[in-house]
Amino acid sequence: MLSIRNLHAGYGKVKVLHGISIDVPKASVVTLIGSNGAGKTTTMRAISGMIRPSEGEITMGQGSDAKRIDGLDSHRIARLGLAHSPEGRRVFATMTVTDNLILGAFARLTWARPRGDVKADLERAIELFPRLKERRHQLAGTLSGGEQQMLAMARAIMLNPDVVLLDEPSMGLAPILVEEVFRIIEQLKGQGVTMLLVEQFAAAALNVADYGYVLENGRIATHGKAAQLRDDPSVRAAYLGASH
Amino acid sequence: MKNTKLLVSTIALLALALFPVLSGNSYYIHLVETIMIYAILLFGLDIVVGYTGQVSLGHAGLFGVGAYTAGVLFMQLSAPFYVSVPLAILLTAGFGAILALPALRVSGPYLAMVTLAFGTIVQILINEMAFLTNGPMGIKITKPVFAGHELSENGYFWLVAMLLVLSLVVVHRVLKSHLGRAFEALRDSPIASDCMGVSVYRYKVYAFVISAGFAGLAGCLYSYSEQYISPNTYNIELTILFLLAIIMGGRKTRTGAIIGSTIIVMLPKLLDDISMFRLVATALAVVVIGGAIFALMRKNEPLKVIIPVAATVLLAVFSYWIDALTDWRLTIFGLMILLVVYYLQDGVVGFLRKFIMQGRVRTVTVDTEKNAEIAGGAILDVREHGAETILSFRNVVMQFSGLKALNNVNLSVRRGTIHGLIGPNGSGKSTMMNVLTGIYAPTSGEIEYRGEPIAGRTSSAIALLGIARTFQNVQLFGEMTVLENVLVGLHHTFKSNFADVGLMTSRYKREERAARERAFSMLRFVGLDEAAGDEARNLPYGKQRLLEIARALALDPQVLLLDEPAAGLTAPDIAELVAIIRKVRDHGITVVLIEHHMDVVMSVCDTVSVLDFGQKIAEGKPSDVQADEKVIEAYLGGVAA
Repeated sequence: MLSIRNLHAGYGKVKVLHGISIDVPKASVVTLIGSNGAGKTTTMRAISGMIRPSEGEITMGQGSDAKRIDGLDSHRIARLGLAHSPEGRRVFATMTVTDNLILGAFARLTWARPRGDVKADLERAIELFPRLKERRHQLAGTLSGGEQQMLAMARAIMLNPDVVLLDEPSMGLAPILVEEVFRIIEQLKGQGVTMLLVEQFAAAALNVADYGYVLENGRIATHGKAAQLRDDPSVRAAYLGASH
Repeated sequence: MKNTKLLVSTIALLALALFPVLSGNSYYIHLVETIMIYAILLFGLDIVVGYTGQVSLGHAGLFGVGAYTAGVLFMQLSAPFYVSVPLAILLTAGFGAILALPALRVSGPYLAMVTLAFGTIVQILINEMAFLTNGPMGIKITKPVFAGHELSENGYFWLVAMLLVLSLVVVHRVLKSHLGRAFEALRDSPIASDCMGVSVYRYKVYAFVISAGFAGLAGCLYSYSEQYISPNTYNIELTILFLLAIIMGGRKTRTGAIIGSTIIVMLPKLLDDISMFRLVATALAVVVIGGAIFALMRKNEPLKVIIPVAATVLLAVFSYWIDALTDWRLTIFGLMILLVVYYLQDGVVGFLRKFIMQGRVRTVTVDTEKNAEIAGGAILDVREHGAETILSFRNVVMQFSGLKALNNVNLSVRRGTIHGLIGPNGSGKSTMMNVLTGIYAPTSGEIEYRGEPIAGRTSSAIALLGIARTFQNVQLFGEMTVLENVLVGLHHTFKSNFADVGLMTSRYKREERAARERAFSMLRFVGLDEAAGDEARNLPYGKQRLLEIARALALDPQVLLLDEPAAGLTAPDIAELVAIIRKVRDHGITVVLIEHHMDVVMSVCDTVSVLDFGQKIAEGKPSDVQADEKVIEAYLGGVAA
């Protein structure tokens, strides 16, 4: 569904990614693991067009539908069906929760139907995140950090995307909500949503994922089935921590 | 690098000094003189626009105040030059203060409106107060007289040149000092500035007053240069021109101010003379085509370069097609501005810098060799001061229109402990931090720090008392280097004022050196010394969190509040963080820790309080809290970590 070949990217003169290749097959969950500064978020940003890759190819879709998306502007990439739930939330603070969600489906809205056919999606999103239901008329900026995180995820799903990029969805969430987030990821996976996941709880991410890539200093150090990585002693030592 | 810079500036100075002799044309001498005078004003304006990020539409008015101070003093009292210069500076700075004190309470479009009104009022007042200013008739002035001799055209040119260099040096020193860092910091993150003890409001006003002083100097020099001043010079168009000069030249550089001032003085003249215009348009087209070829060789997309090439070539063709410029002046002017705003967003200097350096990362010079000797003594040991209970909340209520974010919270924190604060998202933990650091004033209740009530004080005052914090969503000064970020935290160690900085007194030099050394060892404390010269926004997320801790420690705090320091960190980084938190506690600093990673909370905290719906539902040793039924239900969930 999403295929990355020899991706190079960075910020100005600082090169972060030095030729990484990743495959995300349809209806699967792939996770990126690595220490801080390894390039996980940069990879996400390069895929969704927030930064322009300096080299490499990113294609979305399969067979005759495959489209090059590298070098496109991020709003075009979103219209092609790739949603990005960014690190650090970035919700529209002065709009209500409902409006935030509707904007998530912006690519499908038209002048004739300014609210489009998003009603069903709205219901679906709110069903996934019951907490948002109570808050639907509240301004997004007044939500707590954890609720904003849920809103960012729900907003990404509103696009009805083929691929979802989730960057640190559990960051800043109470343990009870972390479980909730992983439950939602499972649920989306069950609905056949393709996901690329970056998570601080690497062990939990490997539990939900089908496949994993380990990033080190902007290169793929190793990759394999999630279960294999989970049992790999060197991966355990470096990324999973002793307590998990 | 340093040598070439010296060489270039020496050559530039020599060229400037020899210019009047070599050119011998009083028209050109006067033009360059005007450029220099505008440049002085722009140095000052850039402090406000480029550094603190405020937009002032009142600088033409301030320029007018400076000019009329000199004019009125000359006409009414025949005051000599050396009296009117300092008076013009002081009086304009005073006007700047009068304008800034109320105006800088607001920002953005409101500030623009207030300053715009000020500019208009100044112009009207000059017009109406004919008894003082001679009204619309204007004032005639002679060149400055020294010891009975009136200065020649060349003499005055040199005088202006000297004052330009002097202004350049002073502005440069101020901006490189703790004052400049404060200006830059408050633009990047006002909330973090306040919490580092740098009062945003105070330093905005400070920047504006300094800026006004330079406008006054420029205005005074202008009146002697023109030898005739009248009210309609100081209008809104001039203000817009000044802002354009900053944008076109490039903000946050002195070279940019000089280039910008050259552009705004030369452009109207250029558009007066058709043959000159043809020449320049052709030259511009050649330069852009050259640049485009160069860019194409570096594998840029052809589509991007085709528009500027086409535009400049068309402009050149157009210049030969028309016979006279008069009808087209404004159109051409407008198009040029459009081109600049679209393609040179960082101004001429920013563009060249990007082109030459290809985005090379800004670095600071730090003497790494020497710093190896500095031990970890950077962090103040506060073990033996004061009472047992360092912080206490009594019946604190924080209400946001109907929603009680804190509902009667009582909490006390013992000195020298690590006190954990946990609870579901939205339970009021961050609100508690914000109330404690003065970002919100509590609706009711009392907060005591070392037995002293602090509720209702400003953030910067509370920070200076010794309560430092980090932020849940990182609030670094992004455009500043890692070292400079910590230096902002050390702002409170400076006693030097504007004069110390301008004159580079030994007190200022000593303070700056001491601060740099301490900042460096603080970076070493959190393991960031290698990255000292990087821009903060380029650090990976986890390192940014560590930098926030280093910056908070620079306040010499007694209490350190950490708001989710482990969020987004991977397991090895968390281990490093835990070690740092313990080291901080070992210096006697009390730590209040908000965190969701239960392994962190359990391993470092002495006491843990649990909030839910703005109320404390449990408190005690970590192990007790972890076993508490209510806590498991509200927060931990089925599988306690």
